[in-house]
Amino acid sequence: MTGVALVTGAGSGIGAAVARRLESDGWTVAGIDRRPGGDRCFVADVADAEAVTAAVARVERTVGPVDALVTAAGHYAITPLTEITAADWHAMLRVHLGGLANAARAVLPGMVERRRGRVIAVASELGLAGGDQEAHYAAAKGAIVGLVRSLAVEAAPYGVGVNAVAPGPTDTPLLPADSPWRDPAYLATLPARRLATPEEVARCVTFLAGEADFCTGEVISPNSGAVI
Amino acid sequence: MVALVTGATQGIGLAIARRLAAGGARVAVNGPVRDAALDAAVAEVGGIAAPADVADRDQVFALVDRLRTEAGPVDVLVANAAYMTMAPFLEHDPADWWRVVDTNLTGTFQLVQAVVPDMLRRGSGRIVIIASEWGVTGWPNATAYAASKAGLISLTKSLGRELAPGGVVVNAVAPGVTDTPQLAVDAADAGTSVEEIHRRYAAEIPAGRIGRPEEIAAAVALLADPSIGALVGQVIQVNGGSTRCRA
Repeated sequence: MTGVALVTGAGSGIGAAVARRLESDGWTVAGIDRRPGGDRCFVADVADAEAVTAAVARVERTVGPVDALVTAAGHYAITPLTEITAADWHAMLRVHLGGLANAARAVLPGMVERRRGRVIAVASELGLAGGDQEAHYAAAKGAIVGLVRSLAVEAAPYGVGVNAVAPGPTDTPLLPADSPWRDPAYLATLPARRLATPEEVARCVTFLAGEADFCTGEVISPNSGAVI
Repeated sequence: MVALVTGATQGIGLAIARRLAAGGARVAVNGPVRDAALDAAVAEVGGIAAPADVADRDQVFALVDRLRTEAGPVDVLVANAAYMTMAPFLEHDPADWWRVVDTNLTGTFQLVQAVVPDMLRRGSGRIVIIASEWGVTGWPNATAYAASKAGLISLTKSLGRELAPGGVVVNAVAPGVTDTPQLAVDAADAGTSVEEIHRRYAAEIPAGRIGRPEEIAAAVALLADPSIGALVGQVIQVNGGSTRCRA
């Protein structure tokens, strides 16, 4: 399947790699990002439901109905539990869980009506297994998995698939040069001995967008063997 | 690229052989014996006849040796060959029980042992093990099959950890109920028609239908892709959203 794909967080990292890969697979790709980008990239904060609804309406008007939604917008922070402020917690949940919920609410009715559509949420390996000093991030990503599996059951009778890709640590700008995830001593603990690449994550996403007609409620985790 | 696909004369295995051949692989088409079905599949995918009973260790090693000579070392192994019968647990004949386990689980064990040395020597290889939704959930009257498939999932995870440092990537696909000739066997075991078996299975799947072999093959193609190395020891479930296998 190809058609119109909408990618949140399309401006950088995994979102940008997904947009490139979808385009090379023949999709017409629109983006949502906080920062201005190319022609078909619309500016909105995914945590803002009204802004997302408006951006999706513009996409549908100018590009066409959305056949595939990929929610990749997110941010990451290493913070011990006692130092996570209420504002940090709130922001993490609003962007990740809210970002998926807002975008899904905007596109799912049309997908259900057309009996055609795919939603792919970028979760995280940390949402499956938990993490150390990133409780807010792990909780938000775990919540995405719960939402994905629930939406999958609701949407399945209408031919709409909802899945997640849960990457392990990936070589993107979210991980600064001095990130502990880039420490050679950590990488040596991974069966694959290296970070995942944005392109590998993107390939998993495009599989779910274009080829996985009977996959729904599934979580594919390119994590270098961190969580098996 | 040489891809050995076991149990490739029909159903899911044949769809995998077609898919990998369409992607440019030279496919070694395995079935238990050289027969008309095997020759037809070989002709269709432009592949190599690779008959062997996967439960027979000597045959498996002889096949891999022959492929190395005739086509080159195996780059991709898809361990798909399987045997299944359904019977109430207390009535399951022990010889048949072991035939299920030795075809599905031991067969994969020895296939992997046969192909992995060449892969490790070259620092690359892809192994895709076909498990089953029933290996995740268990299933009444399918205890031997479900146990063998659960064993394959555990084997996938262990081999994923053990072989990834050497560049050999092991993952699994766990199909839900799929439209293959096996459904006729299930129907006979249940004393009903194939249509009724279709209907019964589909009624329990959120997507409202059973899977197609091509949909399993698409997931296999992802895991056989030499450019993806970050999927390690994973099990991709292709089952229309069946919720009972969500742990």
